[in-house]
Amino acid sequence: MKIVVCIKQVPVGDVKIDPKTNNLARSNVEGDINTYDRNAIEAALQLKEQAGGEVILLSMGPDSYMSSLRDGLAMGTDSAVLMSSRAFGGADTLATAYTLSEGIKKIGGVDLILFGRQSVDADTGQVGPIVAEDLNIPQITFAEGVELHDDNVLVGTRLLDNSVQEVKVTLPAVLTVRAEMNKPRYETPLNIQTSFEKPVTVWSEKDLDLDESRIGQAGSPTIVRKVYSPDKAAKQIEMLPQNAAAAVTKLLTELNN
Amino acid sequence: MTADKIAANKMLQRMIVDFTTTELAPLDMIIDKNQDYPEGLFQKVVDNGLLGMTLPREFGGAGFDFIAAAEALNHMAKGNASMAVTLEGHFKTVEQFLKYGTDELNQKYLPTATKRIFAFSQTEASGGSNPAGISTRAVKQGDNWVITGDKIMITNGGLAEVYCVLAKTEDDQMAVFVVDQDMPGFSFGKREDFIGLRGTPVGEIVMDHIVVPSYHLLGTVGEGHDIGNNAHDDARVLMGAVLTGILEHELQIAIDYTKQRKALDTPLYELQIIQEKLTDIAIAKQNTKLLYEDGARNKVAGEPYSEVAAMAKSYGSRAAVSAGDKALQILAGYGYSREYPIEHLIRDARAMEIAEGTVEKMNMEISLKEVNK
Repeated sequence: MKIVVCIKQVPVGDVKIDPKTNNLARSNVEGDINTYDRNAIEAALQLKEQAGGEVILLSMGPDSYMSSLRDGLAMGTDSAVLMSSRAFGGADTLATAYTLSEGIKKIGGVDLILFGRQSVDADTGQVGPIVAEDLNIPQITFAEGVELHDDNVLVGTRLLDNSVQEVKVTLPAVLTVRAEMNKPRYETPLNIQTSFEKPVTVWSEKDLDLDESRIGQAGSPTIVRKVYSPDKAAKQIEMLPQNAAAAVTKLLTELNN
Repeated sequence: MTADKIAANKMLQRMIVDFTTTELAPLDMIIDKNQDYPEGLFQKVVDNGLLGMTLPREFGGAGFDFIAAAEALNHMAKGNASMAVTLEGHFKTVEQFLKYGTDELNQKYLPTATKRIFAFSQTEASGGSNPAGISTRAVKQGDNWVITGDKIMITNGGLAEVYCVLAKTEDDQMAVFVVDQDMPGFSFGKREDFIGLRGTPVGEIVMDHIVVPSYHLLGTVGEGHDIGNNAHDDARVLMGAVLTGILEHELQIAIDYTKQRKALDTPLYELQIIQEKLTDIAIAKQNTKLLYEDGARNKVAGEPYSEVAAMAKSYGSRAAVSAGDKALQILAGYGYSREYPIEHLIRDARAMEIAEGTVEKMNMEISLKEVNK
């Protein structure tokens, strides 16, 4: 089974908003693997332990992302690809997903693509689903469980706000992983050492046949106009009286209003 | 140091902090109370490859150097000093295999050191700091040696499966032999009921005519005393790291308390009399850290490190006991309570005024080295 896990490096600690772009000012900030992406890596490693194959990490970002790929390799994944170029800079979720999709096509023969449910910095949760659309394959989002039924049939359990949904898909497919699915393994001392010996490939736009209008700033229709904390809607709590008859009367009155 | 080596060390230390924070620190008080590691905890240490941290790659280990290992034990001891000392006992023994073991011995045993604890045993009922007085005997019989004797107060005794034992040969020469718990004639004796580092098992082994092949001799006959001293030096550096972790823990508890506790309307940390105590603990922590780091660096560089190793343990153990007392006084009634960890940190640190050579023995060695310079 050939599994690709797409990971994102997110800033650690307090991050400021860039006043020019209204985006997060990510440069010169120490980064770490997006928390949910570690759950996706763990899910991939468990599937590999069950079905065999390989787990490839894929990310898009500057050279500094290498440290997060290294962390992912130290968890036990096999190899990594970093899509890195100035041409990819300024990408929103649409352009990022397009670029990653083209990377996945270039890797070739991929059975399953895993993402964390969302990134903890931008919080959109969009890239995984858009990749599935770009590649025209099924997707299971917000999965808290996953089972491989046959060689090419996967059942994911989606944990939604008020329900749990089981979805069966035929591979290849995209799965986005919730933290509830597993506890990511530690990077063991030996795996840390071997992470420096595993293959890491860097691709720029020159290594792929890309539509340049769909990458980087040019391929990003998203414009952040303003970043602000939403006003919290004021809610009033009224306690019902302890006496049951009085409580029912009060409740009916309120419901009728 | 290459950029990759620096990056790998940073990743290791982050893993240790993560493991300690998640797996060890929450159990620190329980480990002290129950005088044991909860079921499955030690297995987690094994499963995550921590026993093989310093073991060279050729034997299946991770091959981190002694500097990285010492720093790792520093971080681990901040969450739980007992487990850090369990690893210290293992690492120091593995070091002796690497330095003195023959290829045949190392090929047989070191690949198992990622799963099995190795221990070094010198002390007998006759004393610990006077190895010449030991009664364990090694008698040569053809190609084998026959070991008979009783070793006590072994760090990880009972938990460890492979033991280096100091013995006297028939012509009264000191030698170190490797015995395995699976060998006929090997049995475990009693476990000590020590007041500190209560998670770390400290116990006895009894050897009744254990027959070991000649390649189980570590180094040469007559070299036993040197091997024992070398094991002490390695242990003392690592204990300096453990003591630094304890001092960091003591300081953290004291600082947290002085931030939330007020005397009238003034937070405790704003009072000069409290600041004095916090400063003493902070300086002691930094001094101990510098001493163990110096020892580890010198060892890796092939420079003499025996004296600074003794300094790290002598200074660090007394400093951590004294700092613990200051932290206890800051927390006052809470510090004196078993509900807070300060009192057990003092007991943990106190162990290292004795283990691997008493403070008095350290100071004798340090002073003689200074006098003879």
